[in-house]
Parts: sequence; C-alpha cells; structure tokens
Amino acid sequence: MRIFSVSHKTAFVVDHCPYMAESSRQLIECDMLTKSRSQGVIPLAPVSKSLWTCAIECSMEYCRILYDVYPTKKLVNYIVSDSEVHILNSWKQENQNTQELMTALAAVGPPNPRQDPECCSVLHGLVAAVESLCKITEYQHESRTTLMDTADRVANRGRIICLTNAKSDTHVRMLEDCVLETIQEQNKRAAGSDRLMPIQQCELVLVHIYPQGEETLVSDRQKKELSSVLSSEVHSVRAGRYLAGKLNVLVQQHFDLASTTITNIPMKEEQHANTSANYDVELLHHRDAHIEFIKSAQPSFHCMNGLKETVTLKWCTPRTNSVELHYCTGAYRISPVDVNSRPSSCLTNFLLNGRSVLLEQPRKSGSKVISHMLSSHGGEIFLHVLNSTRSTLEDPPSISEGCGGRVTDYRITDFGEFMRENRLTPFPESMVDAACRTPVERAKFQLERHTRYWPMIISQTTIFNMQAVVPLANLIVKDTLTDEDVLTCQKTVYNLVDMERKSDPLPISTAGSRGKGPKRDEQYRIMWNELETLVKAHVGTSERHQRVLDCISACRSKPPEEEERKKRGRKREDKEDKTEKNGKDTEEKGWTTDSERLKGVMEREKDEQSECEIIKDSPDSPEPLNKKPRLATEEQQPPEKSKGPVSLLTLWTNRITQANSRKHQEFAGRLSSVNSKAELYQHLKEENGMDVHENGKATR
Amino acid sequence: MPTAVLLDSSLSMTRPVSVEGSEEFQRKNLAVHGLTMLFEHMATNYRLEFTSLVSFSSLWEVLVPFTRDYNTLQEALNNLEDYDKTCLEAALQGVSNIVQQEWGTSCPCQVVLVTDGALGIGRGSLRHSLQTVKQRVEDKKFPLPFPFPSKLYVMCIANAEELQATDSMDNLEQLINLNGGEGQIYTMEGPLCLKSVQSMFGKLIDQAYSPFHAVLRCGNLTSDVQVFPRPEPVTIDEEVDPMPRTVQTEGDEIGTGATDDTEEETSTNQMAGKSPNFCVLLHGSLKVEGMVALVQLGPDWFGMLYSQADSKKKSNLMMSLFEPGSEPLPWLGRISQLGPASDAAENPYGEDDSKSPFPIQPKHKRSYAQNVTVWIKASGLQTDVQKILRNARKLPEKTQTFYKELNRLRKAALAFGFWELLKSMAELLERECTLLSDSAHPDAAFQLSHAAQQLKLASSGDSKYAAYEHNITPMLTDFSGGGGADRI
Repeated sequence: MRIFSVSHKTAFVVDHCPYMAESSRQLIECDMLTKSRSQGVIPLAPVSKSLWTCAIECSMEYCRILYDVYPTKKLVNYIVSDSEVHILNSWKQENQNTQELMTALAAVGPPNPRQDPECCSVLHGLVAAVESLCKITEYQHESRTTLMDTADRVANRGRIICLTNAKSDTHVRMLEDCVLETIQEQNKRAAGSDRLMPIQQCELVLVHIYPQGEETLVSDRQKKELSSVLSSEVHSVRAGRYLAGKLNVLVQQHFDLASTTITNIPMKEEQHANTSANYDVELLHHRDAHIEFIKSAQPSFHCMNGLKETVTLKWCTPRTNSVELHYCTGAYRISPVDVNSRPSSCLTNFLLNGRSVLLEQPRKSGSKVISHMLSSHGGEIFLHVLNSTRSTLEDPPSISEGCGGRVTDYRITDFGEFMRENRLTPFPESMVDAACRTPVERAKFQLERHTRYWPMIISQTTIFNMQAVVPLANLIVKDTLTDEDVLTCQKTVYNLVDMERKSDPLPISTAGSRGKGPKRDEQYRIMWNELETLVKAHVGTSERHQRVLDCISACRSKPPEEEERKKRGRKREDKEDKTEKNGKDTEEKGWTTDSERLKGVMEREKDEQSECEIIKDSPDSPEPLNKKPRLATEEQQPPEKSKGPVSLLTLWTNRITQANSRKHQEFAGRLSSVNSKAELYQHLKEENGMDVHENGKATR
Repeated sequence: MPTAVLLDSSLSMTRPVSVEGSEEFQRKNLAVHGLTMLFEHMATNYRLEFTSLVSFSSLWEVLVPFTRDYNTLQEALNNLEDYDKTCLEAALQGVSNIVQQEWGTSCPCQVVLVTDGALGIGRGSLRHSLQTVKQRVEDKKFPLPFPFPSKLYVMCIANAEELQATDSMDNLEQLINLNGGEGQIYTMEGPLCLKSVQSMFGKLIDQAYSPFHAVLRCGNLTSDVQVFPRPEPVTIDEEVDPMPRTVQTEGDEIGTGATDDTEEETSTNQMAGKSPNFCVLLHGSLKVEGMVALVQLGPDWFGMLYSQADSKKKSNLMMSLFEPGSEPLPWLGRISQLGPASDAAENPYGEDDSKSPFPIQPKHKRSYAQNVTVWIKASGLQTDVQKILRNARKLPEKTQTFYKELNRLRKAALAFGFWELLKSMAELLERECTLLSDSAHPDAAFQLSHAAQQLKLASSGDSKYAAYEHNITPMLTDFSGGGGADRI
C-alpha cells in the first residue's frame, strides 16, 4: 500500500453559484400527522433541498465514511467557489474532521440567488484546488525529511472532486482544460519552492448535479487520460438519493472499500418490547477484510439493487471464547452506511459497550463457518478477520518439552511482580527526559537495571526468598535513591545482622543436597555474598547506592580471623587517621573528589563497623566456629606490621587495597577458602556420577 | 510456512544417468535423494512445519497430505511408481486446490517442483499451456499466480545446458514470472550425480529452509529462541520504502502491557535442555498474570509475546508480529511514547490494579460514536422532526430534551444551507402551539412560540441568529422556574 497515492489528498470543490440554490425537486414530507390528531388540520407543504444542500450533505457523508475508516493520512481540503474562493480547512491532520467542516459550511451559508451570476464560477474553486494540491502535507514533509537523499520517492498526487451544475459538455471540457492549464502553471511555480511540490498525478472527478424531473445537459464519461498528469471522468447525476448513492460508490472506489451486510440482527421492537425482529446493517471497511472471498471467488458475494456489491454475513449470538482471537489475521475499521438508523446505532452501541459479535457465512448446508468478528477498541469498531481454515499453528508443543522446561522452581510469582512493576503507559509526545530518551528507551533502561541480578529459579537465590530483604531489593534497582531510601536499605541490613545474631533460620534451598544442607553461619555467608552481588550490580548508579554497599560491607559477618585482624589494626589506624586528616586539611585543599569520597566512605564505615561490632561482641553472639591456627593469617600480614611503625605509603597503599577489594567480586576460591587456602579439584571427590551446580545443588 | 512438494513421476524421470562409476542411477533416484535430504533437514530443524507430497504425470495424486510426520513422507518417497507423460498445468492446479482447501488463501506456502525438465509434448505440455495462457476463459485460468502468497522453487534434475538446449528453461522462467517473480529455478552443476543433487538441494535449504534463530532479551535476562514459522521480510510501502524489512535476530522485550487482544499473524516459539531458561520463566508469568509482553523486532517494528494454550492443556510462548510501523495498534498509541508506569506521577493502573491507561481514545470520535445528523434518506429527517414534535407535546416536562433536539436540527440545517427546513419547523411549532389543549401548561405555549421565533430568525441568515455555535436556550418565564428538570 502506498501512502502517497492519489488518495492521500482529496480536494472537494463545491459550486456555490446562484444556480445551486435551485430546488432539487425531491420533496420530503416532514409533517407526518398521526391519525388521532389529523382531524381538521391542513398538513404542511413538503420541503425540498436545494442542489447546494444535496451537494453538501453527500460530500459530508463521503468525508464521514473516509474519516471513520482512515482517521489519519487520507486528507481532505474543502473548497467552496462563487465569486471568490472559500477554503474551509487545510491539509493539517487537526483540521480533518466533519465538525470543523460543518461549522465552516454554516458560516458560508446557502448560495445567494441574488448574486450576480456573471462574477460567479466554479473555476475559481478548481484553480484553488490545484494550488492546494501543490501544497505539501505534514506527512509528505515528514517523509521527505526522514528519507533525506531519497526524498524524491515522496510523490505528490491527488484527486479533485468537483460538485457543480454544468451547462453542457462543452462547459465540462472548458473546466477540464482549465484544470490542466493550471496544473502546468502551478507545477512550474512549485518546482522552485520548498513548501510546494509539482503534481505528478491528478484525478479529476466532475459530478454534474441536476434537479429531478429534468433532462441532463451533460453526458457521463468514463475516466480518460487528458495528459500524463491529468485524468478526468464525468458523472451526471440527479440530485437527492441518486447523488448520495453515487458518492457512496465513489468513496468505495477511491479508498479501496468494500461492503458487508450483517444480517439477522435480533432487535427488540420499540412498540412491543417482548418481540424481536431481525434487521440488516450495512458496513463499509477496507477491501482486504474480504480478501479470502475475493481470491477464492466464494459465492457469498451477492448483489443488492443490482448496483451495490456486498457480502452478507450472519450475526451469531455473542459468546465469550477467546480461542478464536488467536487466529485473527487482520482488523479493519468500519463505518456504517446508514449511521443514524436505529438498527445501525443499536449495533454500534452494542459494540462500543465492549461486546463482540461473531459473524458466520450464510450456507445452506454443512457446518457453520465463522469468518469475521466485530469488536471495538478504544471507541473504534473493527471488523476482525478470523482464520476459518486449518492453522499452521495447530497442536504446538508444550513449552515444558523445550529447553529449561523440566526445571520446576522458576520464580513465576516474582517475575509476575517484576512485570507489573515494568508495565508500560503512554506518555505525551512532548515528554522527553533530561537525557533526551524517549519513553520506550527509558522502559528498556529500566528493564536493564531491574535485571542486573535476577536469579530465575528459587533454589538459586536466598535473598529473594526472604521477606526481610524486600525493602532493599525494591529500592536498590531505582535510578535515584533519596536519603530516606538509603536509610531504609541500611535498616534492612541491620535487621539482617540482628537475624544473624539471633541465628534465625534462612530459607536456603536444601533440595538436592544431602543431609541438612549448609550450617547456619555458612547460610548467612551465602546470604551476605548474594546481597553484596545484588548491591554491587547497582553501585555505579549513584553515590547513595555506594553507601548501601558500604553499609553491607561494614555490617556483614566476616570470617573470624579477619575480625581479629581488624580489631588489632584499628587502634593504630585511628591514630594515623587523625594526624593524617589534620595534615591534609591544612596542606592539600586540592585533593581529588575521588580520594575525598573514599575517605568519607571509610570513615563512615568505621563508625558503622564499631556500631555493628558492639552488637557482635555481645554475650549472645555465637562463638566463631572456625577457630583455626593463626599461623597462616600471620604470614599474610605485611612484614612491616610486625616491624613497628609503618610508612605513610604503606599505610595508604593498604587502605586503597582494602577499599578496592570491596569493589570487585571475590574469587570463588578465596571466598570458600579456609585460612586463605582453597582446596583444588574438589569435584574429583564427587566421582560417583554426580555433577555439582554452582549453588551446591546436585542434579542427576 | 507449509510446503507442497510436487514430484514429477513421468516416464522420463526413469532415464538413466550416465556415470563413469559402477552404480547406475535413474533421474528419479537423484530426485528422491535430494528430497530425502530436504525432509531430513526439516525433521531436524523445521519439525513444526507441514509438508505434503504430490506426484504427477498426466494425472496427479496426493501421496501424503500435509503432515509433520517426516517418516511418512520418507516412506512415500521409497515407494514411488512410474507413470506416463508430464502435464504440469493440471498438477499446479491440483497443488493450488489442495493448499487452498487446507490453509485458505492468506497462508503463505512454498511449492517445490522436482522435475527432469522434460515438460511434455503436445496438449498438456507446459509449452502448450504457456502458449494459450492469454486465451483462457474465466473458469479455465492458468493456476499461476497462486491465489495464496507463495514461492515456487523448481528443482531440475538436469543441468542448465541441457535445459537451454530446448525451450525448457524459457518455459520454466515464464512460469516463475507468471507467479509474480516469486520463486527460483535451481539446476544441477556438473555431471548428474548424488553430489551435485546434494549441492542443489543444499542451496534450496539455505535459501528457503534456514531456521530462524534469535535472542530474546529482557534487560540482562536472555534466551536463545527459534521461531516457527520463520518470519518473512515485509515491504511496507514499495514507493517510499522499497526495501523489505526483516525481523532482527535480537528481540528486545520492552515491557508489558495488559492488553489481551491479538492481531496479525502468529508464530510459535519452540526451544530445544534442562538448565533454567528465560522463555519458560516469561511464559509462566505471562500465563499466570494474563499479561502480554511487547517485543521489538527491528526499527519501528513490534510484536507481542503471550502464552497460548490449545485445548489440551499444553501451552507455549507465542509471538504475534504487528504490522511494521510506529503505531501498529491505534489503541496503544505510538509505541515510542510508551514508558515505565513508575515514571508517571500517579500509577496509571491504580493502586489495586483496577485501572488501565489503555485503550487510548482517538482525538476525534468516529461518526457512530457521536450523535451525527444525516438526512440523506427522507426517513432520517422525518425521525428528527418527529422527535422534536414528540417532545414539544410534553412541554414543559421535556424542555431540556426539546431544546437539545431542536438545536441539533438547527445546526445541521445551517451547515447544509437548508434554511427552508428551519422555516417549516417553525411553522410546525407554531401549529403545535395552536393545537395545545386547555389543560396544557401555560409555559408550553411560551416555549413553542419562542422556539419558532428563534428558528425563523436563524433562517433569515442574519449572522446574529444564524451562528453555528449559537444555541437556542429555553425562554425564562414565570412558570418555567428554570425550565424543566428532566434529563436524558
């Protein structure tokens, strides 16, 4: 489908000259007297529409159908012509609606029969229409801008529909010649302008309207090429319903529409509420909704009034079964032909209220075939095409037969929660954040942050199985943290410390491992490691995220020997710290922010550390289990330590090393080491056909 | 996408292939060898696709209807019989019918024609068919182009020189052209032997049967996936954007929305182990929560993932492709404008999940959702006039409805330049006034003559009274007390 086909721009030119004020001579009885009141009352004379009124209401109907089926990208420019040109709207999308056109038409009013016929002509309008077709639309502009080098692919085509009352065939020819000349003139002008485009193809549709009961002075003529740019066709139509019928056929031709008649719609009778009769409603929509019928030339096609082609489909009493939805192959907007008739409005209101109707192909025999469905989305009704033949998607394998299908402890509920937290919502066009990211980019960015550490199965995680961790886990993924958030995270950590002190059991998976699983302190070690992994994944987000990690590093239980070392080292360090600080404050104001921050961190840590240690040192804390000879630890100490005072450099280097060591993930070997000695090739012990998972869970 | 294999079983297929080696082959054996290779490839990489085997000579016969059972197909290949001459047109018509019967006309299908390139002689030959292609009556049309989206692959058990010596190559090329250029001719290179037939079918497999592997990504969670049926490239606008768009192999899941409508064609995802897989997790949660996930397939191309269950309690992850573009579903708005709900000032889904920001309502209501006035049929106009008169007779109770309907008629009449109607309506109201019974409320007479007066003024075209936006308001009388309390 080409966006810039002839149908992209339609210019309506409606003749507003005095002769259009003439009556169409189609009489409408609007005084329908009821029997009881008719005695002695003389009925009012019937009214009749003018040619102008007929032209306006039929062109409005054309636009109504067009806007219903194509709310965007199919544009109308409405022009009224008498002694001058009245352009009622522009190509802008915001001007494309019937209300605006109706308002403008009311301002124009009916033609003035007393106006001098000599100065009036539809020609003014035709010239304006050609000029208008040269004007670039916002869609053409957008495409040209995005295509850059290949901007010449954006074509400029259009259609002029002229509703007039012509004098003769010669008069018609004169109008055509005028359009052709104007195109040639305007194309020259447009070639030199940025805001104008030469017309490549133009379809002129001249509709000659004459009153009923008169002979036409203009003959019908099929589409004919007048030049490589212009083609023209002439329709000579009587005013009134003939004209309405003609424009209905034209809108279908021009915009690839087709008609479906819904038959057997049960409707309560207005008078007798307990009886119902069956009604038909005709809908227009894009032709593709009938693609299956067109290609296979099915007999459901049949003609009405010998003129219209429509496909008849039978109403099926609604039921709710969502299976059909999955085999939907397309959805097309509809427009009712007779929009305010009672059956039409009953059907459309039913659908707008959220109900759906399945449509069945009428067949004399055989099983019933449901091929379409009517349903509304956001105040628009769509005709859905359902696949009525065999589907290639039938009998799909179960997901459990595929990769990962036999794992049974997925965190389904947690991921459901995750999805709900990452739901999308529309944002206004103008909303771009500071980094110029579109909302959808922000959504992707959020997904990235939320999934930095996200174990998929229950047995792979401890912290996500603990209610106590929830506040921290929810906050740490955020892009920005407030001081209050940091405090909540810290409280979570303190709470965990408290749990550890009380030796509360942890929900560590014992599935698969033999015996009781890891011991309590080992459980806590696993938990703290995992918590650190989670927080480390976000440490780069902001300084406040770093503070949460600092808190964990400070509070978490360390292997006992490390504790010891720390305690011993502290006093000395404290002293050094003070002198160091004094010196720095006076001497070097220009320290980099990095080292400043580092210092801040370490100081805070110390405070927190001391706080924690007070708790740990309390009598109910368990005895460290891993008492091992201290020999190895001593060896690891830097030699300087035993040799009295250390140099400032050593002190500094040690600090940096210590701080840095918290920023990277510890080697698995070192973490599980005893006195910095890790056992190699542990797996060789498990030689009886077991393989060991990372989390220690063995599977067969 | 289903495949129909059309295998030439005419006598010419039994011609021996001259080889220096010890074994002697018929062309038929080479064809069977090639097809075996194709079926083996499909059984391993494409086992969710349906394939049918049709053999033809002067008649045609479905040997195996569309199936996923490649053993049955293989068995049929091993039990081929030889028949008379080649009549391709009837066979193509046959394939066209069986595909339409099975899958309708919107499901794309690949047709693999395996022949030795001896395309018959006289009536029924391809040459004859092509010569008469323009002189057909409506019900005897040449079967190409197929009514369903298709690719026609011609596998020739012959080399190009052999085909060019006669007009076979020209005829086959014409055949592809008749199918709208959709398809390709493969010929054997070098001597006719098992190796060259393998290489020819290898090319077909690379072209038409390469499995679609992709990575599904949701932030740092990823999963390798294979998609069935393979998503084919799409051309959106052959003029502005003539390059067909292809689905990128990196699917970015961009978030979830709570819509439960499905459109467009669907493909099923099928993964082949035992370690945790993100797809299974995603599928499980989508199913439990009844949600769908939006997935990006390329620049400005999106789709959605959801759990689909068939009736037998089996469910799998399905991906539906939307039409390429920035706004594939009007009720979701522009996809690039969808952002995290947590960024909104207020939770658009409500604290208790009772709300939804979708569907997005269009800026202008469609005609059927607003009370439009259409008087194309006389009955439309008559209904509107009667409605006003009905309410006129129930004044002052129906004052509000009366004026609402009156103003609706007034606006339409002004827009349509139908001033005559305004005058008639005024006369009708004046007559109603004279017909009022003695027991009628005194306010009724005031309102009727006021309304009639206002309509007459509007019909004069005087800009003061004929303004479109102007509304006739009820006359304030001593009786009206604010003019009726009825609501509609």
